[in-house]
Amino acid sequence: MPRAVKGVFVECDPSIKSLILNIDSKSHNVIVADLDDEHLVIDERQVENVKRQLDAQLAENTFNPAELDNNPEK
Amino acid sequence: MAVPQFRTSINEYLEGLPETVLMRLYSSPATCLAIFRLQPSMAQLVVMSMLFNEKALPVARLNAWVQDSSRLKQYEATAKLQSMHIIREAGGLIALQKTFRTSLRNAITGGDSNNSFGIPCDTEDKHKVDIKFLDEHANSQWELILHYMVGTGTGKVPNNGVLQLLKRSGLMEGHPPAPMRITNAGFQFLLQDVKAQIWTLLLQYLNMSEDLQMDAVEVLHFLFMLGSLELGQDYSLAALSPTQKIMLDDLRDYGLVYQRKSSSKRFYPTRLATTLTSDAAVLLSASASLDSAITKTDSEAGFVILETNFKVYAFTESPLQIAVLNLFVHLRSRFSNMVTGQITRESVRKALANGITADQIVTYLTVHAHPQMRKSVPLLPPTVVDQIKLWQLEMERMKTVEGYLFSDFKNGSEYDVLANYARELGVMVWENRSKGLFFVTKEGNQQIVDYYRRKIQGIK
Repeated sequence: MPRAVKGVFVECDPSIKSLILNIDSKSHNVIVADLDDEHLVIDERQVENVKRQLDAQLAENTFNPAELDNNPEK
Repeated sequence: MAVPQFRTSINEYLEGLPETVLMRLYSSPATCLAIFRLQPSMAQLVVMSMLFNEKALPVARLNAWVQDSSRLKQYEATAKLQSMHIIREAGGLIALQKTFRTSLRNAITGGDSNNSFGIPCDTEDKHKVDIKFLDEHANSQWELILHYMVGTGTGKVPNNGVLQLLKRSGLMEGHPPAPMRITNAGFQFLLQDVKAQIWTLLLQYLNMSEDLQMDAVEVLHFLFMLGSLELGQDYSLAALSPTQKIMLDDLRDYGLVYQRKSSSKRFYPTRLATTLTSDAAVLLSASASLDSAITKTDSEAGFVILETNFKVYAFTESPLQIAVLNLFVHLRSRFSNMVTGQITRESVRKALANGITADQIVTYLTVHAHPQMRKSVPLLPPTVVDQIKLWQLEMERMKTVEGYLFSDFKNGSEYDVLANYARELGVMVWENRSKGLFFVTKEGNQQIVDYYRRKIQGIK
């Protein structure tokens, strides 16, 4: 008899997927099933958490010119 | 630019009305004149040619008047007029609707007897106001609404009726007294010119009035009457029906009319009202002053310079324009006639989070680009445009769908039966036969389970 597991299907770039895998490697409670390079199923309770962590990680890699306001050019 | 938009929208509204309602509308000369003015010039020509001609017009003659290259316009015009029941075509003859003919004749020859153009007050107003005052009043009322939408924080909040209308029309969302937020549609609304904005709100008002059991015919009569009133003249409330007096209160909040007190027996239409049904050309000349006062822009002269390094220079003093820019630009300094700022990832993300799309930002920057910018091709620096779009994509890095993952099928045929059923229902999100996995939406799950019980277990 087939099995049905509840979850949230995620479609994303391979780069984002590896970030999600990275988040999962810390707690092992995020990913329900790893489907292929661009698709996976995650726990619905973790969706917001994953989105937040992704945003934080992506923000780290961005240059924010607004910060220059505090160090005005000569 | 935005004028054809509002024209079609009010025309579309009229076309959607049932014939009986339209017939009642056409009993008012002012309304007929206003509707006539809202038609494209080809339709005006057709109506005029029949107005003082009692006989029906053969279609062949109309065809002879119009050049072949404009045939499409002719068909559009006659189709429009027919759908509004202004003309009727039968047996190769076109006839003008009788009520419409009588009313429009009355409007043109001044034979109006039922005061549909409003009654000027015959007594002198002790607190007479001049046109300049009316312009300022209209300006401040309308700006109050716009300011509230962009959240400039002037501290003043428009009346409850206005808030209800903004919410109903989907321009803002939220539950008063909690502060309301501008929506995607609201941002598009801000990009339109003043007249299109007024019509957008008035059409919503029409929809709302139907729910409030107000007679749409009376509401339309009043709106079209306003369009034919004279600026600076005071009009008596005596000719208005009870419904129209209620409307007057609402229109006062939008700045379309001015009343010194709500108990006052006279009202003044403002420029916002008197230009409602006028032509585009009139809009540019007569109300250009007001237009520029409100938006500080017209379609020719923009004020925003965008550089390849994401810096924005906006030559404007209007708090409203600055507030609109502030929706997606990180503003840094303000000078007497300009503001500078920078488009940053954060500022764009803030706008995106408010439901404003990257395309809207790009459109806004294109429409309001400074004449200096127009020398460069393409108009906006491609790097900046691409980056804004990339930032939007970044917000949508993950596409998520709630549902159920099916696995552990006994064999390929069991998989095929269930997968086919899921595809037929249109609930299949993802499938991989070789791995024996598929994912269906939340809604589809129960149907698949039921189907499984019926088909596969039932067979056994």
